[in-house]
Amino acid sequence: MSDEKKGNTLLELPANVVRSVFRNPLPSSDRGRAATSFTNFFLHIQPVRVSRQALRPTYTLGLGLISFFLFVILAVTGGLLMFYYVPSTTQAYDRMLDLRSSVAFGIILRNMHRWAAHGMVACVFLHMCRVFLTGSYKPPREFNWVIGVGLFLLTLFSSFTGYLLPWDQLAFWAITVGTSIAGYAPVIGHSVRFILLGDSTVGQEALLRFYVLHVVVLPIALCLLVAVHFWRIRKDGGLAKPEPATAASPKGAIEVEIREPAAASSASAPMRHFTIQGLVRGPLVKVGKLEEDTVFSWPNLLVAELFVFFLTVAGVMAVSFFFNAPLEHPVNVMHPPNPAKAPWYFLGLQEQVSYSAFWGGVGVPAIELLVLVLVPYFDRGKAGVGRWFARQRVWANVVFLTFVVINIALIVIGTFFRGANWEFVSPF
Amino acid sequence: MPRRQFLGWLSGVGVVGSAVAAAFSTFVFMKPRTTYGQPNRFRIGRPEEFPSGSRMAIDTKRVCIVREGNKVAAISTTCTHLGCIVAPSATGFQCPCHGSQFDVDGNVTGGPAPKPLAWYQVSLTPSGELEVDKDSEIEMGTYLNV
Repeated sequence: MSDEKKGNTLLELPANVVRSVFRNPLPSSDRGRAATSFTNFFLHIQPVRVSRQALRPTYTLGLGLISFFLFVILAVTGGLLMFYYVPSTTQAYDRMLDLRSSVAFGIILRNMHRWAAHGMVACVFLHMCRVFLTGSYKPPREFNWVIGVGLFLLTLFSSFTGYLLPWDQLAFWAITVGTSIAGYAPVIGHSVRFILLGDSTVGQEALLRFYVLHVVVLPIALCLLVAVHFWRIRKDGGLAKPEPATAASPKGAIEVEIREPAAASSASAPMRHFTIQGLVRGPLVKVGKLEEDTVFSWPNLLVAELFVFFLTVAGVMAVSFFFNAPLEHPVNVMHPPNPAKAPWYFLGLQEQVSYSAFWGGVGVPAIELLVLVLVPYFDRGKAGVGRWFARQRVWANVVFLTFVVINIALIVIGTFFRGANWEFVSPF
Repeated sequence: MPRRQFLGWLSGVGVVGSAVAAAFSTFVFMKPRTTYGQPNRFRIGRPEEFPSGSRMAIDTKRVCIVREGNKVAAISTTCTHLGCIVAPSATGFQCPCHGSQFDVDGNVTGGPAPKPLAWYQVSLTPSGELEVDKDSEIEMGTYLNV
């Protein structure tokens, strides 16, 4: 073989270095495309082949990916902001002003962090709606739904802890109101609030605790759950898809043969045949059979993911160019703004709390959360998976959408229709 | 019970027990024994500084000092609803955040507040100053005679 003779000379540089890093060259054959997915650390989370349904933008709306990419943006911008931030009641606000005046790219980084955080809360919620309305939490994906609910809570809590860090009036009173809601939980409420704040009121201890939660504890928990979430998507057989119309049809599973010339140099050599031996689906490994209507992840899935990534980054950057993250006056403990409002995603809660402190703040949210976690275990019907608004799931969808609309309505009322002393005002 | 099974069971208890103990210890660690913020016991001045009939709110300490004749009391100005600072008004107290209203003794007269405002222990120090202890709540209507 001429390849072997070529070795042992420095002329191989830098090709041998490149080869040692990228064991698989850019694929030109189907076999290469398959190999790419499992020889690359960053790509091996991808399946070798992906169903066309999962790639259809109108099916997923890309919401899960957007949420993840927003998290990546938050990790990067957050890590950079940490270089200039001091979690101290006397310094934090000044550091915010420094970001505006003396730190290169300080404004745009803070804007990106702020808007990506709001966007992530919204996208994670919308992603949850998508998964529900397409019936994608049905077996075997029940537990991944539960993990998803956990990720939603972690997202909310991450955003909430970050809210305090600028130490301006908006931050201080939003957290004062928000943590008071926690104090309404029976028996443990006061202890939870005290442990969270490290004191009886929001102050230096609370700022430090929220900072540590925001930059260490919650991101680690998020990373862990995101990893499990993604891993389970793979192990549960990719995104949920409808059952084939005729299960008994011979088209139900097909065998894909992968052909490539045995060696590029010898054109006369017979074609060698490869078959993908196993695809993991559910708890079983499918040997020698591939699901129909799939395409190779390289490049189909990768291009789709890159597209969503650049779209997300571009969106966040565009918003950050035109809108500055809010920064109000520095904390003045003596002057609560009137009305004092929690972050927008908790304004529905705050609106409920204005009717009944316990039921609005703790009782109803706890029940809603419990129902949300248990949904895949209650809703046992197997029909209507993998399609938007499937007719078989009309009741589940109606109930879910009712809750969604009620909660959004409460947030809208709390945001726009509540003025001084939480009295009803018209924004028009 | 066979020895092997017993040891296995014992190990399981040990592992689970350690995990529970570690989680519990973390919470004990997280709950501060001392707070670094404002002390909950503080002096507010001599009784003469509070003339009879005055209702003086000290926002930094979140208490309102009430004096009627010879009687002094300290009423919390932290709203029992969501922790905003209530302001003394003609009819008692008014919360700026969600419109809770309280009468002069701190009873809820309107709005979402679930509980009346707390009353704190007031005592006279040997040096003749009034001292408020926010750690000890007392019954509404309990005054200190000065």
